[in-house]
Amino acid sequence: MTNHFNDIRHSKLVFFIGSNAAEAHPVALQHVLYAKEVNNAPIIVVDPRFTKLAAKATDYVRIRPGTDTAFLMGLINQLIVNDWYDKEFVRTRVAGFEEMKKVAAHYTPEVVEDITGVPAKEVVRIAKLLADNRPGTVIWCMGITQHHIGSSNTRACCILQLMLGNMGVSGGGTNIFRGHDNVQGATDMCVLSHSLPGYYGLSEKAWRHWCKVWDVDFDWIKSRFHSKEYMHKPGFTLSRWYEGVIQEDKIYQYTPIKAVVFWGCSSNSQSQYFKVKKALDQLDLVVIIDPFATVTAAMCEKDNVYLLPSTSQYETEGSVTSSCRQAQWRYKVVDPVYDSKTDYEILEEFVKRFGFADEFYKNIKKIPEDVTRELARGALTIGLYGWLPERIKKHTDNWHTFDLFTLQAKGGPCDGEYYGLPWPCWTETHPGTPILYDISKPVTKGGLPFRARFGTEYTYPDGRKESLLAAVANPGSEVQGGYPEFPGWKTDINVIREALKRGMAPFGNGRARCYCWNFPDPVPIHREPLHSPRPDLIKKYPTYPDKPDFYRVYTRFKSEQKPELVKDFPLVIITGRVVEHMGGGAETRSNKYLAELMPEVYAEINPKTANDHGLRDGDYVWVESPEGGRIKVKVKVTERVDPHTVFIPYSFGGMFMGKSYAGNYPEGLAPYVIGEPANIVTNYGYDIKTQIQGTKEGLCRLKKA
Amino acid sequence: MGARKILSRPERPKGQKITLNPKLARRSFLKVAAATAGLTGLALSGRLSRRVEAQEAKVPYPGSKIVRTICTYCAVGCGIYAEVQNGVWVRQEIAHDHPVSRGGHCCKGAGAIDMVRSEKRVRYPMKREGGRWKKISWEQAFDEISRKLLEIREKHGPDAVHWNGSAKVSTEMAYLQRKLAAFWGTNNVDHQARI
Repeated sequence: MTNHFNDIRHSKLVFFIGSNAAEAHPVALQHVLYAKEVNNAPIIVVDPRFTKLAAKATDYVRIRPGTDTAFLMGLINQLIVNDWYDKEFVRTRVAGFEEMKKVAAHYTPEVVEDITGVPAKEVVRIAKLLADNRPGTVIWCMGITQHHIGSSNTRACCILQLMLGNMGVSGGGTNIFRGHDNVQGATDMCVLSHSLPGYYGLSEKAWRHWCKVWDVDFDWIKSRFHSKEYMHKPGFTLSRWYEGVIQEDKIYQYTPIKAVVFWGCSSNSQSQYFKVKKALDQLDLVVIIDPFATVTAAMCEKDNVYLLPSTSQYETEGSVTSSCRQAQWRYKVVDPVYDSKTDYEILEEFVKRFGFADEFYKNIKKIPEDVTRELARGALTIGLYGWLPERIKKHTDNWHTFDLFTLQAKGGPCDGEYYGLPWPCWTETHPGTPILYDISKPVTKGGLPFRARFGTEYTYPDGRKESLLAAVANPGSEVQGGYPEFPGWKTDINVIREALKRGMAPFGNGRARCYCWNFPDPVPIHREPLHSPRPDLIKKYPTYPDKPDFYRVYTRFKSEQKPELVKDFPLVIITGRVVEHMGGGAETRSNKYLAELMPEVYAEINPKTANDHGLRDGDYVWVESPEGGRIKVKVKVTERVDPHTVFIPYSFGGMFMGKSYAGNYPEGLAPYVIGEPANIVTNYGYDIKTQIQGTKEGLCRLKKA
Repeated sequence: MGARKILSRPERPKGQKITLNPKLARRSFLKVAAATAGLTGLALSGRLSRRVEAQEAKVPYPGSKIVRTICTYCAVGCGIYAEVQNGVWVRQEIAHDHPVSRGGHCCKGAGAIDMVRSEKRVRYPMKREGGRWKKISWEQAFDEISRKLLEIREKHGPDAVHWNGSAKVSTEMAYLQRKLAAFWGTNNVDHQARI
């Protein structure tokens, strides 16, 4: 999130697209409802499904799954053709406007209506609403990201906000409500196959930086790898690791995967789940480390699996980063229960046995505080240097001293600082950055320009040259206007200190790009879902060419886009959350209250579709995917979905293609509620940049059970 | 959610606070439970639940302490006041003064205490042997798993192991998970943020 939850209290409009915050982030909604009731802000909800959030909206827009970019570009086009965009903002802080404008021009209201199903006049009306109610915030979740063009969808949201001048202002911003409690922290630490902590990537420079932080020899780390190539080559991802085992798509690695460790991670969140199951049966070793017996434990039918009880996070401690980049100290409530061990202890036992404990714990004597210190010293790119454990604890200890609207402490021990020291928190005295890219404040007081990451000038394909440096600067900046990044700022805190002393941002003061030449589509364009219900549009808006060696596995795009598929699989399958359950559901389905509140998986089916299939409320139905996945679930007849769409909540598990695996859990540990994982029927398809799975745009068919 | 509060402990004389330490008192708890409801029906039975009177909720457990902590469900990061007596988490309260959640909780956060008290927690290390789950010691678990992983590493290379880390652990632990993969010698490490 560029802004924070409380800042939505300043919004004059709230635009949700692909988010069901009423179920996924219910407590955040109080700030949204304040904007609605006190500021009279329109609440626009764009979603294929009339969600619980839509019930709180002033304006609900039903959109065909997988067409978000077309809709967003349509709005952007309206802002431009009607002269509703923020010209001063574009002049001073945006690059690639001309190139983007040409692409957006294609998305007329009529074209948008054809692609998305949203009436042309609605496109114009919503664009006008956005223009008339500024600042507005744009909020999204997995409804935007889980598509083969997910990375285009997110960029289109950003461009929309740039056109409205809604970036870097209170009440504006692009605010992605993130899922798991510490998904922001874990992302920042890059438990990701393409980067070292702090988004440094996998280049030699990155490795050398972290080796310095760890105080280990670069050549020693290098010797740990199969070869230098594999040190720099992104690894398998959570969405496709199982292909490393079953190899239905070609893999680009010298060995198949033989062992997998699930450490606080469920497996039923992965699409085409029956393939995950196949991989589990083929592996030599599966290690599950979790407070609860996860679905993975029940799915393993071979003697290849270990289940180790880690504690819950209330039996250990450490910092946790909320969606708004704030750190809070999660204090330990009680000692580990039963014979469980903390994750830290379990890790230490393995590290000892792997034989590199001395190197691994060189700077770490006290856990977790010394770990906080080490990661803060290393992750300079996102400005974590100021995240000292003492400071984070002080903020949590004094959470009552922070202002409701600004999250700035009024007096007290944290006076003037922002709650949780939202990153970048450049130094040990920096107050944190509550709103990213806010040029109304000095950098030392939490202001920030756009990052000048891509040089100082760019020549577009048509020969046009444009400066990539901004034409404005934060108050107190030594340079009044744009400036490039300070050489060496990513690896040397002294460079950061020097920049701040001069009132400048270490990463420079650049322009936000509407034209990203390092993306497959420099400007976001619509591409039909791989499995499209509109074969007539595939020719006009085809997907990308196939991508070999994409995170070590051949990934099909064009060869997977078959226009005839819709004949056999006529309905679109989408998945989502229910408030009672979370993720794979191992925790929530083991909670008796939540189990009672939401005891069963179901498929939402429109009355017309239900009647056409002879289905009635409460019947059971087989939902089948083109890949061969099938699940038996209860029918919920409802107009929440349109006649072309089926919705299933995804947090269930313990059933598999009609069969119960309850008996396969360790005795007494089957959760109170089991059910078919929706991901058995989510389809093939992955984002072209990130390889996120496209679970919000597949096809399926129904058969009465 | 509504203001109705449910505590899952047996009826007890007014004013007398009882601590159910899961390590010490589990047996007696189960006896009570078995007497009241069939064990299988226990989970969804309302018979052990009752309304807490307003006054009663304000009386602290003798000698208890209050711990500030953060909900482990979603990234809103709601505050929780945990009441701990004799090393046991006995009660949780919303944090009215938390700047973001302001006393709000969803149904999941309201049951945060169940993360520790749930009967479904894994109690000891286990392995599957002959198609059945078997209890093993931590030493055996660490030794066997490490030996097997090192054998796979030796025979097939470091990339033959895939590490799925977590967005449900602390930032420090997430950092250590990434560092572990680096020291193991692979980039085959990922977590929920990917999807």
